[in-house]
Amino acid sequence: MPKHYRPAGKKKEGNAARYMTRSQALKSLQVNLNLFRRLCIVKGIFPREPKKKVKGNHHTYYHVKDISFLQHEPLLEKFREIKTYLKKVQKAKAKKNEELARLLLTRQPTYKLDRLIRERYPTFIDALRDLDDCLTMVHLFAVLPASDRENLEVKRVHNCRRLSHEWQAYISRTHALRKVFVSVKGIYYQAELEGQKITWLTPHAIQQVFTNDVDFGVLLTFLEFYETLLAFINFKLYHSLNVKYPPILDSRLEALAADLYALSRYIDASSRGMTVEPKVDASSSSQSNDRAESELRLAQLQHQLPSSEPGALMHLVADKEVEEDEETRTCKSLFKDLKFFLSREVPRESLLFVLPAFGGIVSWEGEGAPFNEDDDSITHHIIDKPSAGHMYLSREYVQPQWIYDCVNARIILPTEKYLVGRVPPPHLSPFVDNEAEGYVPDYAETIKRLQAAARNDVLPLPGVGKEDLEDPQNLLYAGVMSRTEEAEAAKTKKKMAELEKQYHEELKKEVTGIEVDEEATPMVEEGEGEESVPDASQIEQDTADMPTLMMSRKKKKLYEAMKMGQKKKSESVERIKQRKKNLKADQ
Amino acid sequence: MTKKKSQAANEDQTIETNKKSVSPALKPQKEKPVVAKQVKSSKEEEDLLLDSDSGADSDYDGDSLSGSLNSDDFDSDIFDSEDDASQRETEGGDGEASEDELHGHEGSDDDEVDSENGEEEDGSDDEGSEEREVAEESDSSEDEVAPRNTVGDVPLEWYKDEKHIGYDITGKKITKKEKQDKLDSFLATMDDSKNWRKIYDEYNDEEVELTKEESKLIRRMLKGEAPHADFDPYAPYVDWFKWDDAIHPLSSAPEPKRRFIPSKWEAKKVVKYVRAIRKGLIKFDKPEEEPNVYLLWGDDSTSDQKSKHLTYIPPPKLKLPGSVTYLFICFSSRIPFSEVFNLYNLAFPGHEESYNPSLEYIPTEEEIAAYELMFEEDRPKFIPKRFTSLRSIPAYENALKELFARCLDLYLCPRVRKKRINIDPESLKPKLPSRKDLRPYPNSCYLEYKGHTGAVTSLSPDCSGQWIASGSADGSVRIWEVETGRCLKVWQFKEPVKCVAWNPLPDFPILAVAMGQDLVILNTELGTDEEQQKIEELLRLGSLPELDESAAAIVSWHQDETFGGIKIRHFKNVSFVDWHPRGDYLSAVMSAGETRGVVIHQLSVHKTQRLPIKMRGLPVCTLFHPHHRGMFIIATKKNVRVFNLQKKELPIKKLETGLREISSMAIHPGGDNLIVGSKEGKMCWFDMDLSSKPYKTLKNHPKDITNVAFHRSYPLFASCSEDSTAYVFHGKVYSDLNENPLIVPLEILRGHSTSSSNRGVLDCKFHPRQPWLFTAGADSVIKLYCH
Repeated sequence: MPKHYRPAGKKKEGNAARYMTRSQALKSLQVNLNLFRRLCIVKGIFPREPKKKVKGNHHTYYHVKDISFLQHEPLLEKFREIKTYLKKVQKAKAKKNEELARLLLTRQPTYKLDRLIRERYPTFIDALRDLDDCLTMVHLFAVLPASDRENLEVKRVHNCRRLSHEWQAYISRTHALRKVFVSVKGIYYQAELEGQKITWLTPHAIQQVFTNDVDFGVLLTFLEFYETLLAFINFKLYHSLNVKYPPILDSRLEALAADLYALSRYIDASSRGMTVEPKVDASSSSQSNDRAESELRLAQLQHQLPSSEPGALMHLVADKEVEEDEETRTCKSLFKDLKFFLSREVPRESLLFVLPAFGGIVSWEGEGAPFNEDDDSITHHIIDKPSAGHMYLSREYVQPQWIYDCVNARIILPTEKYLVGRVPPPHLSPFVDNEAEGYVPDYAETIKRLQAAARNDVLPLPGVGKEDLEDPQNLLYAGVMSRTEEAEAAKTKKKMAELEKQYHEELKKEVTGIEVDEEATPMVEEGEGEESVPDASQIEQDTADMPTLMMSRKKKKLYEAMKMGQKKKSESVERIKQRKKNLKADQ
Repeated sequence: MTKKKSQAANEDQTIETNKKSVSPALKPQKEKPVVAKQVKSSKEEEDLLLDSDSGADSDYDGDSLSGSLNSDDFDSDIFDSEDDASQRETEGGDGEASEDELHGHEGSDDDEVDSENGEEEDGSDDEGSEEREVAEESDSSEDEVAPRNTVGDVPLEWYKDEKHIGYDITGKKITKKEKQDKLDSFLATMDDSKNWRKIYDEYNDEEVELTKEESKLIRRMLKGEAPHADFDPYAPYVDWFKWDDAIHPLSSAPEPKRRFIPSKWEAKKVVKYVRAIRKGLIKFDKPEEEPNVYLLWGDDSTSDQKSKHLTYIPPPKLKLPGSVTYLFICFSSRIPFSEVFNLYNLAFPGHEESYNPSLEYIPTEEEIAAYELMFEEDRPKFIPKRFTSLRSIPAYENALKELFARCLDLYLCPRVRKKRINIDPESLKPKLPSRKDLRPYPNSCYLEYKGHTGAVTSLSPDCSGQWIASGSADGSVRIWEVETGRCLKVWQFKEPVKCVAWNPLPDFPILAVAMGQDLVILNTELGTDEEQQKIEELLRLGSLPELDESAAAIVSWHQDETFGGIKIRHFKNVSFVDWHPRGDYLSAVMSAGETRGVVIHQLSVHKTQRLPIKMRGLPVCTLFHPHHRGMFIIATKKNVRVFNLQKKELPIKKLETGLREISSMAIHPGGDNLIVGSKEGKMCWFDMDLSSKPYKTLKNHPKDITNVAFHRSYPLFASCSEDSTAYVFHGKVYSDLNENPLIVPLEILRGHSTSSSNRGVLDCKFHPRQPWLFTAGADSVIKLYCH
């Protein structure tokens, strides 16, 4: 009799009853693998890891409850219906009844995913928590070329583009953006919404490449769900701003591919309500697009009249109440009185997103721009060319990296290093905790000092003469420098003293040891000298290792793994330091 | 030409004659233009009719017309010829000619086009339309500019390889023009501003330049208009047939019945549609679309009802560096796809991933070359690159791939909640009592005893602690004074000494030495005279002892002449010797002896006995229990068995070590605890009261443990190994049975040379009184470690 014999008719228990393999699941659901995959993706069902794998190690296990959850999904029925319906169409086509086929195709059953979204994310926070992948995917598909072969329609790409712009417009408007990092893969953004940190990656705005080794079916199923999710989230967000969703955009700006700007203006216009409106209008509009704007306004007003009139007052109150935590305030006022102009070659979409998010006013080269290049009030001209043509003296010509670095450092960095034609200083990741990592790049130190200086800047420094106050930044900089240096010097001194002490002790020990030896062993042949006194490091090592002997095997393994991890980390830091040293030596 | 055409022509003729009959037959020349106009207009209509009905061509009809007209007005013919000439003069000869030629060519190719052309010709210029009309009627132009080539409608491919392209009207070959090379022709086309008007006429092998009118005409045709500019397709219909005097209908057939009955099939169709409409299959107004998005999360207060489903494990997020989360989610044991695809996983980007990282993050070329030599798994998945400006960053080629891998992870990878241990690894170490409190213990080398020339294999301290005996692989046995290191005595044997053991009784200073097959009992001559007498008495074999048969096959007793002791010869090499604590019995182990591998000698009666028990496995070492008289412990390679010799039974206890190969064993003076050293560097502590499994297994040596030892009075034990180290432990056994023994590692003793031989330290023994440890090195040195 086998060990795990269970008499016939007796119910299974434990893992055997709780988990089923994928093929069992397929069988019980009576679906094919394709459909199962789609269901799993939209329902968010994933395999689980049973403690004991009854069927073997190479199977994928699903929880029985998950599968029964799928079994009662109305979508499953809907998918079946679509399947049979398509058979009908196929039949009509086979009978050469094109008209019927066409007619049938127009009335194909459709399904909606909103219920699933509600089910998977019962609260809004839940949805925000899982938004990272969604945003990354939608942003990537927004820049993919539509392709027949991959079944990627133009409509979907446009939808992705629209959704991503709506999202960005909201983030920008609420100043929720926290970190930006330009990497080789694309641009990482991190925003904070309702206490959730949401990070997403947008590809660089260049023609993306299709690869053959991805299954677009899977991607498109995910995209379908994510599009719906993001649309609902955008709705909720816009609703919280009291803005009508989906937004109506100025078709002229939309045609000029300045959707983001159009969106932000739309939000601005409709969220401020009617009371503030004329003033905003006067300040932001220039004579060139006055007419178009008024038209746009009219359209928007017509649109929003029913929706926002009763809530207008309340909204105004809410707007103040929302007034935000400190970080948002600092973010909002970072580029407060600065006016930017973007050259043709800089990544416009990204900067149009980032700059308003941190309180800057932006324009760009091209049609539909709010102000022109020859505007006198422009303070910074963002340019990414080796040299600028005509330069206005009233503004600074900086490279786009300056903006990203300022955003991450939360201060206005000095622009000297970022001027046109120079190689900018390294762009550092804001996601890294330098202390934990064990290595602080030079430029991070510089930024830190500048930050410290900027923080103290507000407070008047006691005991500083008037003549010194002229350049507080520099002074503070110097002060900070000297302080850190002092601390370092003290540290080294202490270290030296310690070393000396140790050396003396050792010396003493050695002398006494030999004396003792000589007294006690007159007969012993010489040659024991260095052997009898093992070196200090060895002893230290031994004492450190001693307790590991007493660990259980499991703990020891864990300890070793941790040690190994630490070693790896320190090794990589060492490598970087070594490289730095070499670079310095080369110079 | 076809029959149809001729028929049409005939009809035409009749019409024409009709017209002519209407107009005066003979007219003065002045009236001619008017007539011509009339004729033309009628003819145009006719053309239109013909075009739509029969597709006949005007060429032909012109021909026939001219034939018909020839008789009644020949003067027009003359006029026409004149006119033609004059027109040519006015329009520029070559243009006209080429036009005609083109016509000719096209005419032979396609009748219909030609007909249109013909029409065009007379419509193109207003002032000369009438003359040209006449010209057409006379049809002299067509005859004059016959196509140069007369081959007819044959595929030109037939002449592809020939030098000529056809034959002219006289039958001579028309030779092909020389072809310009492409460059020349291209240059020529570029130079010539009128080039766009030139068409190559394949059939006649010549270039034709289109006139302005012709190009206009082509343009109109391309637009799909009537070729002639002045042709009005919507001209009011002029009914030329006189119906008034017709008394008969065209057809006398009665109207069919079906014209009066409603169609059955139409009715069927209507019914079908009606039904479809009733069923709602056909909808006339589009259903109002529900809004796709709405406020899904209206207020979250209602939504906190418990879900009936399993807890949702959110997918693992991107890894945040330095974040302290104690519960984290990861994709479980199965390798995530992002790793299968060998992609740089979706961790939060560090400095090295920047488009413009600090220079020190960028590997040098040598390092990149070194990556190639690595295994694919070890190779870094991302090599930092540096771009000096934002505009120079290329598209990331793995973007889709990474996204896809992430998607696969999301729906294919099992998710598991795991505890992240975010602690200092040092905190994992157990808290041990301070070593200072556990003093005294040997920690530093105090003395070295040098004199042996081979590896010292065995040590044995005298029970008083004044002397220590050592045996070496060079065959010598020495006795040293412990405190001074003076070598007191040396015996030199022929074979390498395996084991020495000092008699545990203080008044019997004799030594058992195992070498080769012999076990020699030596008199050390250290005791007082009285003791010496006793010993000599004991070591004198009066007569050879009588052994029982089984033992006689294994051992034989001899008097050793050279050193004045007893020599017991065994049938196999003796590897281990141990004295009973009473000092009378002596056990010897022969590893190769298998079931007969252990014998016990009794010195007082000069007797040897085999073990009364059945042996299993190869014996390694034996021990007499310190208190119980008959208890005897045998370690075979895998197990340790405890026997009671008096009862001659099965073993009392079997200790399962779980070790691969036992090398040594020592018993705590209390008698309940046992340590076993193995050749895989592990040491097991057995609490024999507690269990047959080890209480503690310590893996302290990387190489074989050669020996283990307990101190007689101090709570110390030690192990020595081939890695030339000796470990000293604190091993406290409590009298309270509920309390487990306390084991604390105290010291690692180094000092023996590691290089001279691979065998490191071969033996270690504690001093019987002091917390000192002797170690015997394979480098022929004995060391004494003191506290």
